[in-house]
Amino acid sequence: MHGRWPDNAQCVVTLTVDFDGTSKETGLGQMPLGKFSHGRYSARRGVPRYLGLFKKHRVPATFFVPGFDAEQTPDVVRAISDAGHDVGAHGYLHESFSVGDQEPILLRKTHRILTEVLGRPPVGWRTPGGGKSLLTLRTLKELNYIYDSSEKDNDLPFFPEVDGEVLMDFINLPDNTSSLDDFPFYRVSYTPPSEVLAHWKQEFDATYKEGGLFDLIVHPRTGFGSGSPTRAGVVDQLIDYIKTFPGIVFFRMDELARWCIANPHLWEKGSPKRSALR
Amino acid sequence: MTTFTLSVNLHGCSVELREREAPELLGRYSYGKYLYFGIERILALLDRHTVKATFFVPGFEAVSDPGLIREVAAAGHEIAAHGYLLEDHSQLGEREPELLARAHDALCRATGQAPQGWRAPDGMLSRQTMRHLAALGYMYDSSFQDDDHPYRHAAEEGGLVEVPQNEMLIDATLFNARQTHDRVLKNWTEEFAGLQSEGCYGCMTLHPRPDYGVGRPSRIELLDTFLRHIRRAHPEVGFATCLEVARAAAA
Repeated sequence: MHGRWPDNAQCVVTLTVDFDGTSKETGLGQMPLGKFSHGRYSARRGVPRYLGLFKKHRVPATFFVPGFDAEQTPDVVRAISDAGHDVGAHGYLHESFSVGDQEPILLRKTHRILTEVLGRPPVGWRTPGGGKSLLTLRTLKELNYIYDSSEKDNDLPFFPEVDGEVLMDFINLPDNTSSLDDFPFYRVSYTPPSEVLAHWKQEFDATYKEGGLFDLIVHPRTGFGSGSPTRAGVVDQLIDYIKTFPGIVFFRMDELARWCIANPHLWEKGSPKRSALR
Repeated sequence: MTTFTLSVNLHGCSVELREREAPELLGRYSYGKYLYFGIERILALLDRHTVKATFFVPGFEAVSDPGLIREVAAAGHEIAAHGYLLEDHSQLGEREPELLARAHDALCRATGQAPQGWRAPDGMLSRQTMRHLAALGYMYDSSFQDDDHPYRHAAEEGGLVEVPQNEMLIDATLFNARQTHDRVLKNWTEEFAGLQSEGCYGCMTLHPRPDYGVGRPSRIELLDTFLRHIRRAHPEVGFATCLEVARAAAA
């Protein structure tokens, strides 16, 4: 027993849904019409489908929402929060490209929008598309965020270093966009859903054995996402599978972050060190 | 009888540092910092299977953490050269001899031994690379993908032994194409069976990374499954380092 998780759990599961509505196409300068309309599916069908799925399974989840999408469909974003899920920030126009010194302005803009829509400030952030700079965490700290879920250099939560200082009131909850994200399989390799399910089950088996953090990333869109009945069905079956294991807890990311911050002795401080070899 | 090599390209932050400064290795540029987790798992797996491997190490990685390279060498694995900061050797021009020497010295200092083998970063060489390597005393190269057996390059091209790689047995080929674990395993086992049926040499190339390598727990399991399959289905297969393969070919 590694004693790493709450309630002596063997493995923590975070189900995360990156909203990625029309912000995605709009940010790329595409009109969200016709073949560029996949993002519209998120608010119309994908998000309601996932809310129903999580309700059926009685599991909490985390939704990362671009500010633009919250402006376009505030009721849908409020419904997520009302259903008991965490809502984190995810760029304004899903800026997967570099925005230079505009970054703090955009982070603050989305923060203001989500605060208005939710009636309280978001405390978590995930990078849209992997972009991040030295300005990111500085700004998120100023806005009193407590977690970021964007890093790929660890399998477990860790305290990030900002400007030479390790933050102890802010935790990184790493995300695995190579293997536990729907995009690479449905867009890059066009893998059939049944094979994606088998793959994710194997990912879970290995994470469970190590007592790790299993963070699933799906998008409620059509196209590269998992919004459709067939692909949401994969998530449904995966949750069924995970629930057959003893010692599993499903966590909202904000709750996991608070628990990690309250138990600082368990987590690495700063970048991985060679002591990992022991 | 088939001879099989496990080789590891030790890609840490040297990959991202080609594009970004150290403090900015964040988000999609943070994968290289996973190095220690990946190396730990690969070393443990090699130990479990009692296989000695060849680690191709960029000079930069040996300078930034010589202790890590010594630990790999102390476990009985071969250390070979792999550029300084993963340069494109087809574009270095007159700077190439100097960079090859710099990478060479970095490995000599870290391990106390001169590397005998070299592998081109991203498989990119110039017409001069092999002659420069010969001048530095290298015995073999492992960058080409043009044979099923080791061979010797022409004397006017440096005369090194070639220990050829196999694209389908480079983990990054399939991971970059975002293949599922089951499809990767299927690709590897079918490729191996074909090599074995004709008594060919096989060189597998691994990376300790979480994106295009086997560093993550699920992918180490996948590699473990593949190695157990080889042992069971092809018990006659012998494992050898690149240097052992090169020496046998030169004899």
